[in-house]
Amino acid sequence: MGLGLVESGRFPKPLTKLLNMSRKYSLWVYQWGLACCAIEMGAAFGSPRYDVMRLGVIPFPASPRQADLVVISGTVTDKMAPPIKRLYEQMPSPKYVISMGSCANCGGPYWDSYSVTKGIDQILPVDVYVPGCPPRPEALLEGIVMLQERIQNEDMAERWRGDPIVVG
Amino acid sequence: MIRLPSVDATDERAESADPEAESAEPDERREAVVAGFAEEFGEQLVGSHIEPDREVWVRVAADAWRAAGEYARHHLRCRYFEFLAAIDWMPSPFGRSMDAEVDNAAKEPEPAAVQATPRNTGATGGETRFQVFARVAHVHDHDYWGVVLKADVGDGPDDLTIDSWVPVYAGANWHEREAWEMYGIEFTGHPGLRHLYLPSGFEGRPLRKDFPLLPRIVKPWPGIVDVEAMPGEETDVVKGDDRSSDEADQPEDSDQ
Amino acid sequence: MTALTDSQKLAYVASQAADARVNVELETEGMTLNIGPQHPATHGTLRIIVRLDGELVAGADPVMGYMHRGYEKLTEVRSYPQITTLINRIDWLGSFANEVPFILAAEQLMEIEAPVRARWIRTILHEMSRIANVTLFLGDMGVQLGALTPVFFAFRDREHVLNQIEAVTGGRFHPNFDRIGGLKDDLPKGWIADTKQTMERVRTFCDEVEDLLMGNEIFEARTRGIGIIPPDVGLQFGLSGANIRASGIDWDLRRDNNIGLAYDELDWKVWTHPDGDSFARYWVRLQETREATKIIDQLCDGLPSGPVMAKVPRIIKVPAGEAHVCTENPLGEMAYYLVSQGDLVPFRVKIKSASFNNLSITPWLLKGVYVPDVITILASLYFILGDLDR
Repeated sequence: MGLGLVESGRFPKPLTKLLNMSRKYSLWVYQWGLACCAIEMGAAFGSPRYDVMRLGVIPFPASPRQADLVVISGTVTDKMAPPIKRLYEQMPSPKYVISMGSCANCGGPYWDSYSVTKGIDQILPVDVYVPGCPPRPEALLEGIVMLQERIQNEDMAERWRGDPIVVG
Repeated sequence: MIRLPSVDATDERAESADPEAESAEPDERREAVVAGFAEEFGEQLVGSHIEPDREVWVRVAADAWRAAGEYARHHLRCRYFEFLAAIDWMPSPFGRSMDAEVDNAAKEPEPAAVQATPRNTGATGGETRFQVFARVAHVHDHDYWGVVLKADVGDGPDDLTIDSWVPVYAGANWHEREAWEMYGIEFTGHPGLRHLYLPSGFEGRPLRKDFPLLPRIVKPWPGIVDVEAMPGEETDVVKGDDRSSDEADQPEDSDQ
Repeated sequence: MTALTDSQKLAYVASQAADARVNVELETEGMTLNIGPQHPATHGTLRIIVRLDGELVAGADPVMGYMHRGYEKLTEVRSYPQITTLINRIDWLGSFANEVPFILAAEQLMEIEAPVRARWIRTILHEMSRIANVTLFLGDMGVQLGALTPVFFAFRDREHVLNQIEAVTGGRFHPNFDRIGGLKDDLPKGWIADTKQTMERVRTFCDEVEDLLMGNEIFEARTRGIGIIPPDVGLQFGLSGANIRASGIDWDLRRDNNIGLAYDELDWKVWTHPDGDSFARYWVRLQETREATKIIDQLCDGLPSGPVMAKVPRIIKVPAGEAHVCTENPLGEMAYYLVSQGDLVPFRVKIKSASFNNLSITPWLLKGVYVPDVITILASLYFILGDLDR
């Protein structure tokens, strides 16, 4: 409903809050597992120990067209970058990106490789960077919580002007 | 002290290894392998080297490359194909430029002399810049041993051809595609040499020594800034802020 | 090449028909199915282009390189201690096992031998990385067949093993713990008792998974007689590890070519299976996980005392020479062919990873199977993308 209202800037504040809260607790996350981080992401999303669903994150959408959030976890190579871009474009807006791990953040240990893309932010706008090689599942969960805070305080019209968050 | 590859260094090593080899029991099985190759290939067997109880290297002429594979597979019962790869013996034209300036400061800066020194070309030597090598192994009857086969390839960097091993070991297919992609070696008789790892538009042969790693040129490596003290070491090395004193230590340490 | 199975003969005929696009009785057209590059069954980023004739696979062409990071080039510009960090990330499920053969190769050239205790602890960690790696396979194989429970069990019990690895090395995934000449540190206090408990848990996990899957009608129907690899074909494609032992080749590098590790002093068994199908590969890995827990128990009982680090120069320079060391890693044989010119950095490191060879058989193996079996066969061959592409 209210998307037209948001764009016109005439959206009542309590309603924005409600909308944002419902958005932040029903994040459908598409897992783009690429390398080592994919296993830690799998541990965060799939294992009973970390249990991501308690944060209101639903980890198994059937396709990127259903997803609100994509977690790019792992090494992005120049050969892989075009498919990532294409799948990102298939996601409906508003969409969020978490870049997980040093490789996706900046190339990581492969900073001098001839085949690795030095950071996913060269091709996608990233909302949260989770550092680590690989980050522990808890770090990813913290990244998700920070993203949820961001969604909660979000003025939809200003969505694209925000700076990325870095998990400390 | 000579830090960079030189033939002398290898010779010394080979000589010092010889008395050991005599005192140890001769490795009959590996010697039999070399003798078998010598009998089968005669002059086409260019070189061989045995490290007792470890490894045997056999270098054949390029013409005999496929025959050597067939011999290993059918006569030596080396059924297991481990890998096939290539090597570029040219010293890196970037010299130590791949290293940081702080590392370079600790070395004798003589890149020109490096180019002039003869190349050290491994266990069985080599005359050309590029070599292919492969390892096959015998895995039956709780008796494991392998043999490394080598052959020189081509004259110049643009004319590299050698017989494919795909008819001998079907598994060589991807390995040869990799060697073609990384070094530009053409394998005659290969069912389809095309890119394996890299996107099809990729230019250059990444594993050749003259392929530059651009990020290193754009942004130099900060250097080996942290040398960890080994747990066994008596004197706990505390690194001072003064880099130059640390670099002065370096040659002494490496002589130990 | 040896005798073909019936389905492979059929596939040959089918592929001929698909190639020629001529079928006298009924005009059919082949279909190309693209699996990947992002598909759950490929464990990451592998793309397989499958040509279909009806439901039969007429030809499969894996396209890889989506995870190619250029290891062999990067090792030429990194010093030896830096390389240990890098090669952790080849097979990211069994990271410590990647370090072992490289360190052994460097030690061979430097003519250094690690102290006995270091070798025993290396063996413990080597087997632990096997468990950390293979347990995920044991769960994941169920996922590929639609059974979700085993993978949750696997993640649950794998955490305990990771905790033990973390207690020693400080890293869940990438320990970077092995050093030329020994290990970075000794074991922490109380670790042995915890480890034995963990091994008990892993054995329980193996029993649970066996209860869940073995004898399950769907599991048996989908794996028995599917994806048969004859021993000779497997060897010439360079299959190693459990994949070739499941084809009846009794070959284990831990027993037959034990370099620098403590396997000779232990009582354990190499498991083989004569069938060579997907089921056999699963079964062999299950038994190997159990065997690994027994190995670790024995190692913990008999752990010798002493230092964990030999005397090595502070700046590692490896003398000129060539060394080849292979060990039995979780995925199969992992080998490093190290060429040194006596410098701070290696001259050339050929990394022979198990998955590369294990997957190179797929164009041959997938011919003539049905589409759903592609997934189970790939899962049963068990590859890690980092190990495949390097």
